[in-house]
Amino acid sequence: MTDSMGTVQEMVRLDAVTKRYGSFTALHETELSIRAGEFLTLLGPSGSGKTTLLNAVAGMATPTSGRIWIDGRDVTATPPEKRGLGMVFQSYALMPHMTVFDNIAYPLKVRKISKQEIRKRVSDVLELVRLPDLAHRKPKELSGGQQQRVSIARCLVYNPRLVLMDEPLGALDKKLREQMQLEIKRLHNELKITMIYVTHDQEEALNMSDRIMLMNGGKAEQIGSPHDLYFRPVSQFAADFIGQSTMLDAKILEVGDPCIVDLGASGQCKVKVPGANKDQGGKLVLRPETLRLITNDQIADGFNALSVRYKDSLVTGSTIKHIVELENGTELIVQELTTPEETAKRHEGRLLVAWPVEAGIFLDR
Amino acid sequence: MRPETREQYRIAVFALPATLFMLVMMAIPLGSVVWQSISDDTGLSLAAYAKIVQSNLFIRVTRTTLEIALGATLVAFFLGYPIAYFLAKQSTKRQTIWLIVILIPFWTSSLVKSFAFVVMLGHAGILNTFLGELGLGPYKMLFNRIGVMVGMSHFLVPFMVFPILTNLRSQPPELAKAAAIMGAGKFRIFRTVTFPLSLPGVVSGALLVFILALGFFIVPKLLGGRQDVMLSSLVDFYAREVFDFQMSSAIAVILMATALLAAFLLSKVRGGASILSKESS
Repeated sequence: MTDSMGTVQEMVRLDAVTKRYGSFTALHETELSIRAGEFLTLLGPSGSGKTTLLNAVAGMATPTSGRIWIDGRDVTATPPEKRGLGMVFQSYALMPHMTVFDNIAYPLKVRKISKQEIRKRVSDVLELVRLPDLAHRKPKELSGGQQQRVSIARCLVYNPRLVLMDEPLGALDKKLREQMQLEIKRLHNELKITMIYVTHDQEEALNMSDRIMLMNGGKAEQIGSPHDLYFRPVSQFAADFIGQSTMLDAKILEVGDPCIVDLGASGQCKVKVPGANKDQGGKLVLRPETLRLITNDQIADGFNALSVRYKDSLVTGSTIKHIVELENGTELIVQELTTPEETAKRHEGRLLVAWPVEAGIFLDR
Repeated sequence: MRPETREQYRIAVFALPATLFMLVMMAIPLGSVVWQSISDDTGLSLAAYAKIVQSNLFIRVTRTTLEIALGATLVAFFLGYPIAYFLAKQSTKRQTIWLIVILIPFWTSSLVKSFAFVVMLGHAGILNTFLGELGLGPYKMLFNRIGVMVGMSHFLVPFMVFPILTNLRSQPPELAKAAAIMGAGKFRIFRTVTFPLSLPGVVSGALLVFILALGFFIVPKLLGGRQDVMLSSLVDFYAREVFDFQMSSAIAVILMATALLAAFLLSKVRGGASILSKESS
């Protein structure tokens, strides 16, 4: 969304926000700016501070220091009921003593909207979340997925410009979760709302987000697009948390473009490391899908190749995972697409693992 | 024998002493009271019940008993709900401290407490002396309904607090959070979410207090006036002054039946209360 000046509007800004409980720091000094209409995901393991951050935006936790701005207004001291945002909870938080209709009508009644208008808006929003016939049921008569749709409807019915979702799909099974991801994405696109979405599921974060803020130990580890986080992790934590990877102990042997990196007993390889120092230690991160098993005569320029021992293969439908072992005993996973060719014979004679030089990532922290 | 059955027998063995005790000390005397109420020298007779139904005294005392029990229930609710609400907002550690404070009334016998209330509420008692200093009173707070209500609710409030507190604590905190995010102020959240959801707790507390209040004896005797005779006093009157054991047994049976009815309703509400916990899981 842009204003008349043509500049991008900012919906949320966190200015040096910290949150401490006694001597425990739940959120270290954090800066964050969220564009209007953006889908931002807070991703991280439990205890990483993502829920604290969300609660600070919602107004349910007052920051120990720093300021929070929503839609150009300083809301640091504003109670949740005056912030005018919407929130969806993992537990749905539907009022058990009210029907679906009354649940969705609740925020409208708070806003003193006429009965007629309420009826219209509730039925519209039920249509939007594809639950038109359940208005008079009680929440406990609905399935988990339906309850979450109702809670999303209740959140959207009063058109908040900013919606917070706290692990909304955590209680659903995998299939339903994937379906609801698409549904939430669709609503986000149609209604052009700004979304802050909390999850610990990296796949969910990659599927849905415009931007991901990866959190660890009460700090932002990395902020960027899903593509950035996957292909350009800034730390071993980020590389490990997002996607699958193998990490090998590595040391810079020769600085250059690319650098030569020593992998101990397993050999040497080339990696692009901007700003590298000689003898710098760290990890070489390799994604399984960038690796190939090749034969001796397939070695090509621009590729690294290390000799390996074949151990086993796992077929997971569309992909096959070969487990191989480097000279020093480290296991590597090589992922390839399956072909009708017989599994048992595929690895025969392929005693080298290879990857393009630019696919290796060297991380010193 | 199936393992579960064997396990049940094992548990039954542990319950045996208590069961025997209750049988000898409760069931047999109660049975004899019931029997006494429906028999006289000639055999089975419902004469006592017939007499009771026609007795103006009984009808008046029954009305007083229900009035006092209901009044005490209301007072206990209005005093107990705010306490429970306050406690539910405290940390677990503070809750324990406050609960001990609430339970202090139980550490003194109600006889001693009733005498204490005489000292406090009497014509020249502490409260009236204090009000006198302010140029108010003296008010008659003893040997009338006020005295009975003060004495009884002092004992009964905790019985109201506990079921409500249990309910408030089991309410998922996200419900109030969600309501606040949707724009509801504190009072609206209480009126539309917290209170309606706490009704099962209120009803079970009220029934519990009502059942206990029905059987009060010492407090109305010591703190009430001549108008505040309850059914338990009537049982005492027939047994010790008129020596009409049939009448006193019959009244006791009616009192017990009323309490049992309330207890039955209580068990229904307890069942209903679990709806909430099922949903929150």
